[in-house]
Amino acid sequence: MRRLGRDPALGVTVLALWALLGLFVLYPLARLSWIAFFDGGRLSLGHVWSVLGDPNHRRAFVNSLVLAALVGVGGTALGFLFAYTAARSGLSRGWLGALDAATLLPLVSPPFTTAIAMIFSFGPRGLITYHLLGIKGATAYGLHTTLFAETLTYFPIAYLTLRPILAAIDPNVEDMAFSLGSSRWRVFRTVTLPLAVPGFANAFLLLFAASLADFATPLILAGNSFPVLPTQAYLQITGLFDFRGGAVLSFALLVPAAGVYLLQRYWVSRGSYVTITGKAGPATAIKSVAPWARRGLLAACVVVAAVIAYFYALLFFASVVMAFGANHTLTWRHYHVIFTEGLKAIHDTLIVAGLGMPLGGLFGVLVGYLVARRRFPGRRAMELVSMINYALPGTIVGIAYLIAFNDPPLVLTGTAFIIVACYVFRYSPTGIRATVALLQQIDPSIEEASQGLGARSGTTFRRVTLPLIVPAFFAGLGVVFIRSMTAISATIFLVSINWTLITVRILENMTELALGPAAAFSVLVVAIVFVVMAGISWALRRLQSAGSLQVTSILGG
Amino acid sequence: MANLSPVAIRLEGVSKRFDHRVKGEVYAVRDVSLDVRPAELLTLLGPSGCGKTTTLRMIAGFQEPDAGRILIGGQDVTRLMANERNIGFVFQSYALFPHLSVFENVAYGLRVQRQAEAGIARAVGEVLALVGLAGHERQMPHQLSGGEQQRVALARAIVIKPRVLLFDEPLSNLDARLRVQMRGEIQRLQKALGITAVYVTHDQEEAMAISDRIAVMHQGVIVQEGSAETLYRRPASEFVAQFIGRTNLLRGRVVAAGATGVEVEVQGHRLRVAVDGATPAVGASVTLVVRPEAVAISPGGTGLAGTVLSRTFLGEKAEYQVRVGNDTLQVTSYGAGSSRPLAPGDAVVLEVPSTGVWVLEAGA
Repeated sequence: MRRLGRDPALGVTVLALWALLGLFVLYPLARLSWIAFFDGGRLSLGHVWSVLGDPNHRRAFVNSLVLAALVGVGGTALGFLFAYTAARSGLSRGWLGALDAATLLPLVSPPFTTAIAMIFSFGPRGLITYHLLGIKGATAYGLHTTLFAETLTYFPIAYLTLRPILAAIDPNVEDMAFSLGSSRWRVFRTVTLPLAVPGFANAFLLLFAASLADFATPLILAGNSFPVLPTQAYLQITGLFDFRGGAVLSFALLVPAAGVYLLQRYWVSRGSYVTITGKAGPATAIKSVAPWARRGLLAACVVVAAVIAYFYALLFFASVVMAFGANHTLTWRHYHVIFTEGLKAIHDTLIVAGLGMPLGGLFGVLVGYLVARRRFPGRRAMELVSMINYALPGTIVGIAYLIAFNDPPLVLTGTAFIIVACYVFRYSPTGIRATVALLQQIDPSIEEASQGLGARSGTTFRRVTLPLIVPAFFAGLGVVFIRSMTAISATIFLVSINWTLITVRILENMTELALGPAAAFSVLVVAIVFVVMAGISWALRRLQSAGSLQVTSILGG
Repeated sequence: MANLSPVAIRLEGVSKRFDHRVKGEVYAVRDVSLDVRPAELLTLLGPSGCGKTTTLRMIAGFQEPDAGRILIGGQDVTRLMANERNIGFVFQSYALFPHLSVFENVAYGLRVQRQAEAGIARAVGEVLALVGLAGHERQMPHQLSGGEQQRVALARAIVIKPRVLLFDEPLSNLDARLRVQMRGEIQRLQKALGITAVYVTHDQEEAMAISDRIAVMHQGVIVQEGSAETLYRRPASEFVAQFIGRTNLLRGRVVAAGATGVEVEVQGHRLRVAVDGATPAVGASVTLVVRPEAVAISPGGTGLAGTVLSRTFLGEKAEYQVRVGNDTLQVTSYGAGSSRPLAPGDAVVLEVPSTGVWVLEAGA
């Protein structure tokens, strides 16, 4: 406490951040718990039993877990294929760039882009099912298509997790195994694979959590025969106006999500086997992949990348023809529709993203700096609380905001502010993480040097720390913007007549079978995101050439 | 660049505790009192973890003592933050601002003081010339060599005309040759500016070369203060004897005592040792501090009988390991090239002169 007294600016900032975290993270969760577990002011599990007693809900719970586990396994396998090929088989820069591009597309697209393309490809009038195979009345709904779409959407997360781990395995270790008489296959099995095990666990858990929280893909693809928790909770609230049932269902989602989060923290805290030393790069080339194996790996990656490219091409095609599957005359009609009828959604989305971007970036840098560099009471708690909305499935956050800000003391529903707040507190943790990671590379004595030269803490932050963490600030900005453009699971509960979002309009179009405008909207979102990403990457490169430190990736997931 | 009159630094009973995960509360620094005289360069010397850096950081204001007072120039600064103390601090890692040019790094402290632009340019130019970096103003820190970075750090610290200069192992990231050169420059600069300085290092040779006085620290306390020569010739404890230079410690018992010396029985052999000050009583257990270069080694004669274990030829000298009873003694012999070299296995006699040996009573 004496430390806060010595530095009043720190005290004021900490209190202000706590007020915000309390209002937009803890308060909604408390209201959600209240409505789910209390009845007339008394703790009661009655609602819980009545909701969970519904066999349909129980089936949704089991379905969610099965789907998440399958996506975890499939996505990790696919991610490993890409990561191993990229990191260990000595590809040229051109090939590496192509692999990166193929994995980047799903990461920056709205989460249901693949799902929509699946309908175009495998639906009743799908390009493959109807036009190529001539199957009439094909069904694209159920576990198999949902699984396929989610795996393709989320495997890049596994790729990003596994690639640095595989790249960091010292080829000299493999050389050592060769020198002891191992075959290539044996080296892979006994050296490379075991060293990557912590990465596997981490990738699986990340994918499990992503699938568990995914709302849009199942809404489009799962259909009535395969209900999952996020969609059930959504229907409970929007269809039946049963807030309490939605709250209980979202809590059912919270249990496995929290378990996965804790497991992952445990694994991450154990760290990986790979140690990165400051020594100069290994002088030996990687020999562990035979030429024929390398060709095989590359071929497999090309096939997957081709499928992704095919889906996006299909999406674009659907946006420029009269009626996909029936009338393939080229037209700009759908784009005309989205820029007239849909203009409000575009306008609203850009305003929300534009407001959230600087706020989220600033919030991330500020919390990251305080947590990494300053000592104050409740520092660890602040770090933990700031991550909650990020770790929770969007459905829970959305329902919690809806319940908390629907009636006094703070009524925000129907405003843009509630959507902006949701995005800021849900997506700024990437900026927090990036700031912390960057600060860990910056010697604290640099800040002490400034203090020793007579600068107060505010001056030191402004003149020394802030310029050094600008890359993290940009990374935070980028993620908040991209997610504001593409996210839907939380904000679908928060849109209103006054403020709507492109992603919500796409879903509406899908349910109204207005596939053309849905495709056109999706293409627009992907295009905007790519332009903004390119701009941020350019800014980051400029900064890094000016002697600043590196931010590894602006896509923390 | 001349400073105002140099000031003294005074530490009165300063302590700093840390919470240790296993051991609970431990003292990093325990009840340290110290006087640094005006314009003096005093070195805090000790092994890693002895509390020397913590002591320096408390003088700077980066850490606050749990007990005691710190005075700079008679002013109590214990509760002042570092930015209110007017100190110059040189870090082990240099801690240059990586996003600022050499000029802006050096100008930083002057800009914080809101000095006029013309004055800043002049002062930075002067100080960069002083450290031999004129013409490097526009370079970025990562474009400089380690030695040049250290000079920028030094320039940045002295340009604000601090009351005291504090060095935290400033040379440990440089290679051996550069280290010797830089320590000479630091000493020259400190004397030219006439500024009080505290210097932290774990390298006893560096400490002896640069310091007016040395305070040896061990486990959070100052165990001895004095000039390099005093610490070498008259160590107050076995720890100091072993930390400053190489040494042999011979255990023995006083068998006779006179006014100017004692006779000590070591390994069944009687050694006459000169003592100034209090003479230990007959029968007392003592440890003799015998420096390797003080011992004469020869194939025959009178003295401690032993066997050569190894010989290392180092050009101007040869170093021997000699087995005497249960002890292994180090012996340095200069001008070793003339006679027939002694080989491992040779029987030798070690002569220990009566002066050049320091007597420590048991428990020291």
